[in-house]
Amino acid sequence: MHTNEHTAQIEKFIIPIGPQHPALKEPGHFEFTVDGEIVTHASVRLGYAHRGIEKGVESRNWTQNLYLLERVCGICSHVHATAYCLGVEKLAGVEAPPRAQAIRELVAELERIHSHYLWLGVTAHEAGFDTLFMYTWRDRETVMDILEAISGNRVHYSANILGGVKFDLGEKEAQTIRQGLSFLEERTHHYLEVVSQDALFLQRTRGIGVMTLAQAETIGVIGPTARASGLARDVRLDDPYAAYDRFPVPIILDDRGDLSARVVVRLKELLASIETIRHILDDLPPGELTVRVPRKIKPGEAISRVEAPRGELFYFIKSNGSEMPERIHIRTPTLCNMASVLTLAVGHHLADMPMLLAGIDPCFSCNDRGIVVQYGGDDHDHWTWERLRQFGIDHYKQLESGVF
Amino acid sequence: MKLATLLKDVWQSLWRRPATEAYPLVKPETSARFRGQLHYNSQGCTGCCLCNKDCPANAIEMITLDKKNKRFVLRYDMDQCIYCGQCVQNCRFSCLSMSPEEWELAAAGKEPFTVYYGQEEDVKDVLAKFTPEDHPEAAPR
Amino acid sequence: MTQLIHLLFFPGGLFLLALGMGYEWLDRKLLARLQNRQGPRWFQPLADTVKLLSKEEIIPQGANPWLFIFLPVVALAGTLTAALYVPLFGLPPAHSLPGDLILTIYLLSLLTLGTGLAGANTPNRFSLVGATRTLTQLFAYEAPFLMALLGPAIVAGSWQISIINDFAGRNWLIVTQFVGFLVAVIGLMGKLELPPFDAPEAETEIVSGALTEYSGRGYALFRLAKNVELVVGLTLVASFYLGGLANPLAFILKTGALLLIIVGVQTLLTRLRLDQTVGLWWRYGALLVLAQWLMIVLAKII
Ligand code: SF4
Ligand code: SF4
Repeated sequence: MHTNEHTAQIEKFIIPIGPQHPALKEPGHFEFTVDGEIVTHASVRLGYAHRGIEKGVESRNWTQNLYLLERVCGICSHVHATAYCLGVEKLAGVEAPPRAQAIRELVAELERIHSHYLWLGVTAHEAGFDTLFMYTWRDRETVMDILEAISGNRVHYSANILGGVKFDLGEKEAQTIRQGLSFLEERTHHYLEVVSQDALFLQRTRGIGVMTLAQAETIGVIGPTARASGLARDVRLDDPYAAYDRFPVPIILDDRGDLSARVVVRLKELLASIETIRHILDDLPPGELTVRVPRKIKPGEAISRVEAPRGELFYFIKSNGSEMPERIHIRTPTLCNMASVLTLAVGHHLADMPMLLAGIDPCFSCNDRGIVVQYGGDDHDHWTWERLRQFGIDHYKQLESGVF
Repeated sequence: MKLATLLKDVWQSLWRRPATEAYPLVKPETSARFRGQLHYNSQGCTGCCLCNKDCPANAIEMITLDKKNKRFVLRYDMDQCIYCGQCVQNCRFSCLSMSPEEWELAAAGKEPFTVYYGQEEDVKDVLAKFTPEDHPEAAPR
Repeated sequence: MTQLIHLLFFPGGLFLLALGMGYEWLDRKLLARLQNRQGPRWFQPLADTVKLLSKEEIIPQGANPWLFIFLPVVALAGTLTAALYVPLFGLPPAHSLPGDLILTIYLLSLLTLGTGLAGANTPNRFSLVGATRTLTQLFAYEAPFLMALLGPAIVAGSWQISIINDFAGRNWLIVTQFVGFLVAVIGLMGKLELPPFDAPEAETEIVSGALTEYSGRGYALFRLAKNVELVVGLTLVASFYLGGLANPLAFILKTGALLLIIVGVQTLLTRLRLDQTVGLWWRYGALLVLAQWLMIVLAKII
């Protein structure tokens, strides 16, 4: 039975995209079965960028993990640290002071701006509109500069520490942020006009990859991808964390559900973020920046959810009362959205695939949490740490002796 | 529906200098909070070692020569440091700081990356005392 | 002896290759500046070519090696030969015979055909899709492009490029045959697979299209052929529609202006999907030129 299916597969014309492909900035493997230019079947294999972070976390102390987890993703580094901090603070039974929470939200929104701008550029590039790509990335430098000015680094801001944040915002920083934001606001309005009016860009986005509300609910998409289908899902509103109850963000919805809607939703979210940041700056609560968090965290389990630029980010944290966590599990938004690409791909042109994939704003290396090893060993489901280690040692020994 | 919505930007770009930074020719200004190379001032240090306890990259080591006379040497491995600033945050006596100017840290070899901070004679003592054989971790690389 | 010089150095051969690289650089530099980037330095195309020529050429398994090596040569030879019949650099064409317009257009198509066959020759899937797209696009733009160039030929009453050039020197045909000019420019872009008509080599979908498996010498030759084709195409369109090419200065100014237009279109438009490109050509391009043709013929009869 299995072999029959296999031969049937071979006879079809399959276009492999990845693991190395110019359309993918990170490794992932897609196989599109095509009939002429029309895709009839799509499948994906992930796990190429598995870095063993969840295991690494278990041998570092609570503070050191902050920086390891921040590096799960190079674009949304702050939300990872925030999710982790909120979870650990919950376990330790402390709460960061309001000023720290407000700064956390502010940095998160700045990060959203930088992430969405980056995404707009990538999408424009996938569509073959390189000029828009260059312009958006040029303007994105503004928000990177703001982040550098307030935190000291462009990418890994390291704003969080357990129990608060590292830096304060003074008048000078607020001024820098406001200046940058007014420039970005103007540009965002401009780009919004471009993506919703440019005839050729609309030809590539309008009516492509339409996901209805019902489909979105069944597939379980999250983040802007869900909101572009009219599904009101946003952790910032559903379960406010940090200072989101004090400085709420408006939810942006669109009911068209196509690629164009996804672009528009993200751009409108930029405007919403800019407004929110202004509110925070106007009304920054006074007070301390940190509270003390003990080196050893009380035993227990906690989950924490935050809204990353791509959707809901989920952390599970378990402590056994020592200086190091017992287990941390991360689920990143890309994993939830990936299924939508495979479902929507069927019936579209091959030329739409990169756009469709970019539409969910995939981030492969943060979503690669585990890999299924399909060879070596008889029991595929259970690999103990020792067995995995032994497998690795044997593998490299074999490599060295040149058996492969 | 319009064609060529970016026409105005393109027209302006024609008369503008490229947005590309002329980096090696002109060094860009970094913000005052920029986290560059780590610096240590042994004055005021108590040798509590809080700084190296939480360093996520094991990039610093506090070498205590004589706790009573406050003879401390800090070995700093720039190539391991991830410039997170946790050590600066941890030090309660403000002995550590990160320079916003020194960030051009690339080098062709490994040696320039290991720096010993402290009083001059202390560093000399450390280098003399720790021969590579018995203390490989403290040896100059 | 002069024949040989014509063929090897000026205006054919080396000079043409240098001119081609110069235009490639101009294209890339202008594109970069319009996108607010720095762009390459003036010798970049030369450096690319030298590097490619010095690299090892890898012939993939399953490809016919002779065809694999031969096709780039044919493509380059075709475009170089085409250059002999056009008023390159504002000088009279090196060769001229009645009906050489048709000959030139078909010589120019050799590059596209060569690219398509080269893609179909290799077993790579991206190449195969690229080859299909290249050839589909060829069928889409070829007829309108031909018709657009025949428009001036009809009013000039000759199918010989030098005569049309002289005739165009006295009449700026862009004024009377604007549609033809537009179709010719866009057809040229389609021929050269420049954005937004670069679906056949869209890197985000099919890596490098038909030429994915090419590296080293073969790729260098294809690139050179493309550069030469750019020059020849610009010369043709400029001489037919922009008031003829009578001297080097006119050549540089007119082809330069044309290049600027082409670069502008490249920056402003999003890549079209192949079905959209084909639809565009047959729904608008071909019909418009046809309508204009009828008008020209009618005007001639009356
Ligand atoms: S900045 Fe971070 S990585 Fe570098 S020495 Fe300090 S704690 Fe360690
Ligand atoms: S934390 Fe500060 S006082 Fe303590 S050892 Fe480090 S530098 Fe010295």
